[in-house]
Amino acid sequence: MTASDALSILKGAGATLTLSVLGILLGLPIGLALAIARWAQVPLLGRIVALYVSLLRATPLVTLLLLLFFALPNVGVPIGPYSAALLALVMNTSAFNCEVWRASLLAFPKDQYEAAQSVGMGAALRFRRILLPQIARASLPGLVNEMSMLIKVTPVLAVVGVVDITRAAQRVGAETYEPLPPYLVALAIYVPIVFALLMLQRWLERRQSKAELAS
Amino acid sequence: MLSASSKFLKFSRRTLLAVVALPLAISALGVSAQAASLDEIKKRGYLIVATEDDFRPFEFVKDGTPTGFDNEMIADLRKYAPFEIRQEILPWTGILAGVSTGKYDVAITAAIITKERKKSLDFTSPIADATHYYVKRKGDDSIKSVKDLSGKTVGVQAGSALLARLPELDATLQKDGGKLGKIVEYTSYPDAYQDLALGRTDYVVNTVINLQTLVAEKPAVFELGQAVSGKSFPAWAVAKDNASLVEFLNGFIAKQKETGRFAELQKKWFGQSFPDLPVTFEPEF
Repeated sequence: MTASDALSILKGAGATLTLSVLGILLGLPIGLALAIARWAQVPLLGRIVALYVSLLRATPLVTLLLLLFFALPNVGVPIGPYSAALLALVMNTSAFNCEVWRASLLAFPKDQYEAAQSVGMGAALRFRRILLPQIARASLPGLVNEMSMLIKVTPVLAVVGVVDITRAAQRVGAETYEPLPPYLVALAIYVPIVFALLMLQRWLERRQSKAELAS
Repeated sequence: MLSASSKFLKFSRRTLLAVVALPLAISALGVSAQAASLDEIKKRGYLIVATEDDFRPFEFVKDGTPTGFDNEMIADLRKYAPFEIRQEILPWTGILAGVSTGKYDVAITAAIITKERKKSLDFTSPIADATHYYVKRKGDDSIKSVKDLSGKTVGVQAGSALLARLPELDATLQKDGGKLGKIVEYTSYPDAYQDLALGRTDYVVNTVINLQTLVAEKPAVFELGQAVSGKSFPAWAVAKDNASLVEFLNGFIAKQKETGRFAELQKKWFGQSFPDLPVTFEPEF
């Protein structure tokens, strides 16, 4: 294994990171929106969301991805490997995020919400000032857990031609007939990525508890 | 509460629409692909070829650049074709499915021509000889010839035609009173070789070309055995009944043969040329 082989695995890290970050950034608000639709019991929409989330939670990511990648062009929706990968990732993670968000919503004390109403807060303000800060804090561990899972399932995306860390490592192994060194390099890249995520969680939690002490 | 929640809903509905529409909008930025005849390809101006990335010596990636026999053929095809060549690189698992659904026009890889595949795909002229051999660990004295393979664990790539050729080996073994041992499938051959080296399997079956390259690269670890199958050829695959495209690609292959470039590339990548390859091949298996 040469330096340029290691470099190509590092390039794969670019794809892993981009897809993970986009997947997380899109999956969080979509998951929240889905959770709210269910929690607020929107007629029809709530039911549809419940069905959609159950279906997605039961579908393996790789199956969903292959389905999107090969079926969508047949119904006239052109889709490339990276967009198919991102779409599948966002659909999958938002379904799981939805359940994390919903759990916090269900545990949210109703009296606080009614108190906010009684002082004349509008829906948007209530959401931003009362609901979101508290459910975000309660959801954080579950959401970070789902995020680290998301990063670790990205190798699955290689099936449609995405070159992530693991695929890049596999390519090096196929060229040199020595699969172990590139896999070790791959591992050495994954660990700090997930570690950085966990550090971010710890920092957020510490910041929150400081804010609580101050208030 | 009711009026409050309905107000709240207006907000969440709008948010919902916006966030759901976003990934759809992103997905629309993808690349278009439909099954196409030669006329349609000429009209739209490009041909989409799919290749693998870990199938040395046919196609593999070295220092970030695709290389190998098929990639050099594609470089020549770019000069030969009156239209643009767009290349997609993906693992074997998705390639034939992509060709049969029309996502890619042709799989420029070493797809063994089999009866089963002929049902959903058409093939060009063979590009090499793919008689199957077995490879074993260097110094494994328990395997000296094909009949010693009886009862031993074999590794092959999942979804590869070699699985279909294993019954043929089984029949050969049964003639001497033996039988095929446990079959282990891997997503790709490099993993199968690794497991063979580790002793988890006893032999791996693959085409003579792949195995010769492997043994040349790792002579201290692996040792080439004998042929385990009859005649077999790899070729490029297109969607079923896309005769005009097969004809065009066969024309290209014929020209490569005529100019001597075909033999030159075979010598370079496979260590030998195959001057007697048939123009068309009807598989028995």
